[in-house]
Amino acid sequence: MKNVIERLLNLLAFLLTSGRPVTADEIRETVAGYDRENDVAFHRMFERDKDLLRSMGIPMGMTFTDAWEVEQGYVVPPQDYELADPGLTDEERAALWLAAQIVRLGGQPTGADAMFKLGGAPMTAAGEPLAADLGLSADDLGTIFSAVAEHRILTFEYRERARKIKPYGMIHRRGHWYVVGDADGEMRAFRVDRGEDFRAGPQAEAFKRPADFDIRSSIPAAPWEAGDADIVAEVKFDANVAWWADRQLPKGAERLTLPDGGLTARLPVANTDAFIGWMIGFIDEAEIVGPPELREQFVERVRG
Amino acid sequence: MSDKTVKRLTRILSMLPWVIANPGTTADEVQRRFGYSRRELVADLELVFVCGLPGYGPGDLMDAYIEDDEVVVDMADYFSRPLKLNAPEALTLLASGMALTSTGQAPPALERAVDKLAAVVAPDVDDALFVDLAGAEPALLDVFRTGAREHRVIDLTYTSIGSGVTTERLIETWSVFSSLGNWYVSGFCRLASAERVFRIDRVRSAVPTDETFTAPESVPPPEVRYTPSEDDVRAIIRLGPAARWVAEYYPVEMIEEDIVSFSASDPAVAARLLLRLGKSAELLDGPEVRERVVEDRSRILAKYGATPSL
Repeated sequence: MKNVIERLLNLLAFLLTSGRPVTADEIRETVAGYDRENDVAFHRMFERDKDLLRSMGIPMGMTFTDAWEVEQGYVVPPQDYELADPGLTDEERAALWLAAQIVRLGGQPTGADAMFKLGGAPMTAAGEPLAADLGLSADDLGTIFSAVAEHRILTFEYRERARKIKPYGMIHRRGHWYVVGDADGEMRAFRVDRGEDFRAGPQAEAFKRPADFDIRSSIPAAPWEAGDADIVAEVKFDANVAWWADRQLPKGAERLTLPDGGLTARLPVANTDAFIGWMIGFIDEAEIVGPPELREQFVERVRG
Repeated sequence: MSDKTVKRLTRILSMLPWVIANPGTTADEVQRRFGYSRRELVADLELVFVCGLPGYGPGDLMDAYIEDDEVVVDMADYFSRPLKLNAPEALTLLASGMALTSTGQAPPALERAVDKLAAVVAPDVDDALFVDLAGAEPALLDVFRTGAREHRVIDLTYTSIGSGVTTERLIETWSVFSSLGNWYVSGFCRLASAERVFRIDRVRSAVPTDETFTAPESVPPPEVRYTPSEDDVRAIIRLGPAARWVAEYYPVEMIEEDIVSFSASDPAVAARLLLRLGKSAELLDGPEVRERVVEDRSRILAKYGATPSL
């Protein structure tokens, strides 16, 4: 491993200072650590090194060495290598590190590598009882994030169909990740765990995100807020369950506490199915007061 | 092998810029910051010392060593900038920062850190990435988090999801965790004399007591576990296409592609689920659950002044 790292440090030092594309042959002749005798051995070694750097997020680009466009050489463009300085304080680094230990993706806490790149931090999270898992590993999510951040077209398989969308944003809400965007002219949300084979297109800035897009309103906080219905429901909860209803009702719902401890509320409902399902959970300790059609639908569902 | 190489090289290429930007830094500081032992740090500096630019003579190689506890790096200006974060790293850091912020448990420094980081990795990401782990009262989260940290016994008033019964009990909190959109607290329940997991949104009140407890050496991993018991009530349910989500959402046992076995300590849980699903599901077996469905259905219909269909 020591030899590999020495060779890679020499290679990076050479590429970062050469200021011009350098050919594989030049690298072989110049950079310490490469095999100059055996062609096959050199190429195997060089390919491995390129893969390793790519896996670290350092891509070696190729461009022509001169205007005659005969020969191609390697470059590591500074903008692909360097992290722009976010100007973090040590307190902010420590807060970020703790958050990354508490909140996991796919069961894995964030590795220390990302934190090292930001200048390291005293890495103590011992005794922290708080834990959250956002599900899914960072790999698919990373691909989607690149597409969102760099405005690349995103393709994937979803319910046995190939999809191609302009990904405007991604959100984790009610326990799931969604990617939201323009699918053939229609704004849609896809659950990431139901898709597979996510790929970001080769071209950056392939679309513009609408100026009024806000990911927070793309997936509603309550399930009955997602849909096409447009009704205002009036509901009543008995004193025994009023506390529970109150916690689940959206912030904007009009509430009135009754003298007996019960609660009435008026709230917009966009998905009647989901809303009725939620109301059934209260059995006979809640009631849909109106509108009559919604009451009727509720009774129909309960009759089964 | 290559994973270890990547980790070591990443740490070297992160440590060098920091030392270059902070001349006079001590070995202890570098070790603390980058998680190095002294031996590992010395080994990495020795490795850097023999690398550099073509020619590889004394004027071409980097300087890297420890002198009087000070870490010295010289002739390495090309490594003065830290490495870019890759997409999964950037996402993970931003998402975890946003997630903790949404719970109301984040220090102000975290919000600043997320904003600064977002500004360099994805400048307009604010409208495009959001992680919502809200859903538990911040004050309750705080009581449990502090209780677990300080090993303080908590007086808990809890309303069961299944039975709707409210009980008061003392618990020794081990961990506070979020899973599939809900927050839970796990610990030793003195009423049940066993490990229990409680959904925080069903907690009516949580009051820290003066009593502390001795924490177990190791606690079970924070997750929602369904612990089968002999007293459980089983329901065999056929799921129509509109009800397939049940198999993904609840800890059920798959019997066939569209048939699941649903177990819970109280028949009310399965009954309520069946009532919610309406025509999209069918109860194949489970006499206690069937009885409960009929009972709950007539209670609801009575409330609405409606009669059951024939």
